[in-house]
Amino acid sequence: MRFSSRLFIGLFIGILLGVLYGWVIRPVEYIDTAPDSLRADYYNEYVLMVSEAYAADGDLDLARMRLAALGPRPPVNTVVAAIDYGLEHGYSQLDLETLNRLVVDLRAMPPSAEIDTP
Amino acid sequence: MKPRAFLPLALGVLIGLAAGLYYSWVVNPVEYVDSSPASLRQDFKEDYLALIAAGYAHTGDLQHTRARLSSLKLEDPASALSRLAQSRLAEGQPEAEVLALAQLAAVLGQRPVPNAATDRVASTATPSAPSSSPTPSPTATRTPTPRPTATPGAPFRLTDREQVCDLRQGESQIQVRALDASGEGIAGVELLVIWDAGQDHFFTGLKPELGAGYADFAMQPGVTYTLQLRDGDRPITGLSAPDCADDSGVSYAGSWLLTFQQPSLP
Repeated sequence: MRFSSRLFIGLFIGILLGVLYGWVIRPVEYIDTAPDSLRADYYNEYVLMVSEAYAADGDLDLARMRLAALGPRPPVNTVVAAIDYGLEHGYSQLDLETLNRLVVDLRAMPPSAEIDTP
Repeated sequence: MKPRAFLPLALGVLIGLAAGLYYSWVVNPVEYVDSSPASLRQDFKEDYLALIAAGYAHTGDLQHTRARLSSLKLEDPASALSRLAQSRLAEGQPEAEVLALAQLAAVLGQRPVPNAATDRVASTATPSAPSSSPTPSPTATRTPTPRPTATPGAPFRLTDREQVCDLRQGESQIQVRALDASGEGIAGVELLVIWDAGQDHFFTGLKPELGAGYADFAMQPGVTYTLQLRDGDRPITGLSAPDCADDSGVSYAGSWLLTFQQPSLP
């Protein structure tokens, strides 16, 4: 067998082993994640907690800021998605009403306030 | 095959291994899209904790709150909440947030935290009687837990003022206990301390291990303080470190323990 053939066989085996080690045996560990990477149930629980906090303090700007940690999606859409999730997964009526109140108040915000200025 | 024949193979494996690791660790690493709150960055974790406390302040559902706390995998949730309340107070965060943290810390500090996993099941599933017919899917239920809270409109009154001489404390303190009419400690009572050069405010319940209604403030030697409970009937003036003496007669600065209680409602 020629030198180059052996080299390529070795390369193939090495890449295979490297990827196996890096993806399966010892993958990169994320220990400092952001809320937008939360699993769906935790993600929607986060949205519910934001709406509960809003129900307690009435601070809509703070609620929007907290929702911003969940990614670039508009806050209204995030909460609406949480309501859909809640309907599918048996959230209590109280939880759904709390989420709904936040959606209603977010929608009632003046349009200019929805646009973040640099 | 001669030993030299393995050289290109080994070389290839080494280069391939390096390339494979580079690809799987740097170029295209495993993406965690389903992480748990326990893996959140510290500041997000603290925000999550504050949200849990705010949620509890709204719902009063302790079982559900414990289930939420268990997802953060904290060794001692009450202490973590208490520390966060103190740091948020120092940062000047909204009072409602600090109060919510202090109250939850106090509630958790009063009672041992049972198995959270069991709580999760208990808080989400409604037990059903054995039946051969299909049963409806479990529905989430909320059971608000009664919490000791200040009776609105009933001002606290000083019921006891005790000099404390304890060398183990290490500093001179104004110690406060806020109790409701039945003698239960109340967390989240705001206290204002004023002295010549400034003022500070703090809350009961930030040290749940010492009781829900407990709070303390470090006094400086030679300074006279006035203490006012936000819901108190009159300020306590002239508080300065009392003189104490140890067994050998050496004097040191002691502390004051002030007990405030709400009167019984008629």
